[in-house]
Amino acid sequence: MSSHTNFDVLQKRVRALAPEEHTVLDSPPTISNDFFDALRHVVHDVGGQPDGPMAYKEKEEEDWEARTYVTCECLAWRGVWSAEERRRAENDLGETLYFGLPYYARWIMVAAKTLINKGIITPDELSAKLEEVRQRLEVKS
Amino acid sequence: MSKYQVGDRVTVRDAPTMFHTRTQAFTRGRTGVVVEHRPEWVIPEDEAWGRDNGRTERFYVVRFNQRDLWADYTGSDSDTLESEFSERWLMPAKEETK
Repeated sequence: MSSHTNFDVLQKRVRALAPEEHTVLDSPPTISNDFFDALRHVVHDVGGQPDGPMAYKEKEEEDWEARTYVTCECLAWRGVWSAEERRRAENDLGETLYFGLPYYARWIMVAAKTLINKGIITPDELSAKLEEVRQRLEVKS
Repeated sequence: MSKYQVGDRVTVRDAPTMFHTRTQAFTRGRTGVVVEHRPEWVIPEDEAWGRDNGRTERFYVVRFNQRDLWADYTGSDSDTLESEFSERWLMPAKEETK
């Protein structure tokens, strides 16, 4: 079946992009179509990719994680986005950020980007808030 | 009326997707059996881009035999995997010659 072959070829290219085994990406002047297919492969579609054993770890939920979850749910409740739009935005972060950030850091990162994209907040407002929080934390410590 | 009934053999379309999709690469072109109807919902192709009033379609749970998905599968013949597809992603399976 030809689709078996296509999938195997795609997986080979995607595997080369996985964090543990890098293809050097240096903005080449041209790329092949199959390399383009692999590059824009949706990040969360990991089925069939090779992986090693992982240690199972019981992790307590932290306050910032719970707050992130509630913030994102409230944004959905008020019509800013849906879970599917959030997942798409997370995929659009690209492999480096997607696999580099903790799970809920991905959520809050794309929440901020979506609010800016939709004109609900400005980058200046976000910067000002970050500065306010930074100063508050400095005073505490 | 659902286009596919429970028990129908269906093949997942290998349609081009430029950006976001929920149709996993490993299911493209593979044949399975409809095992469950899911409620109509906005298709991910619209919902993912904020089109919350986008096109709605019926969704189906399709069960694949693992051996049909992975060329080098070493597990049991009876191992299966289920995934969910909107109607646009499915087509009737062609009769297979064995």
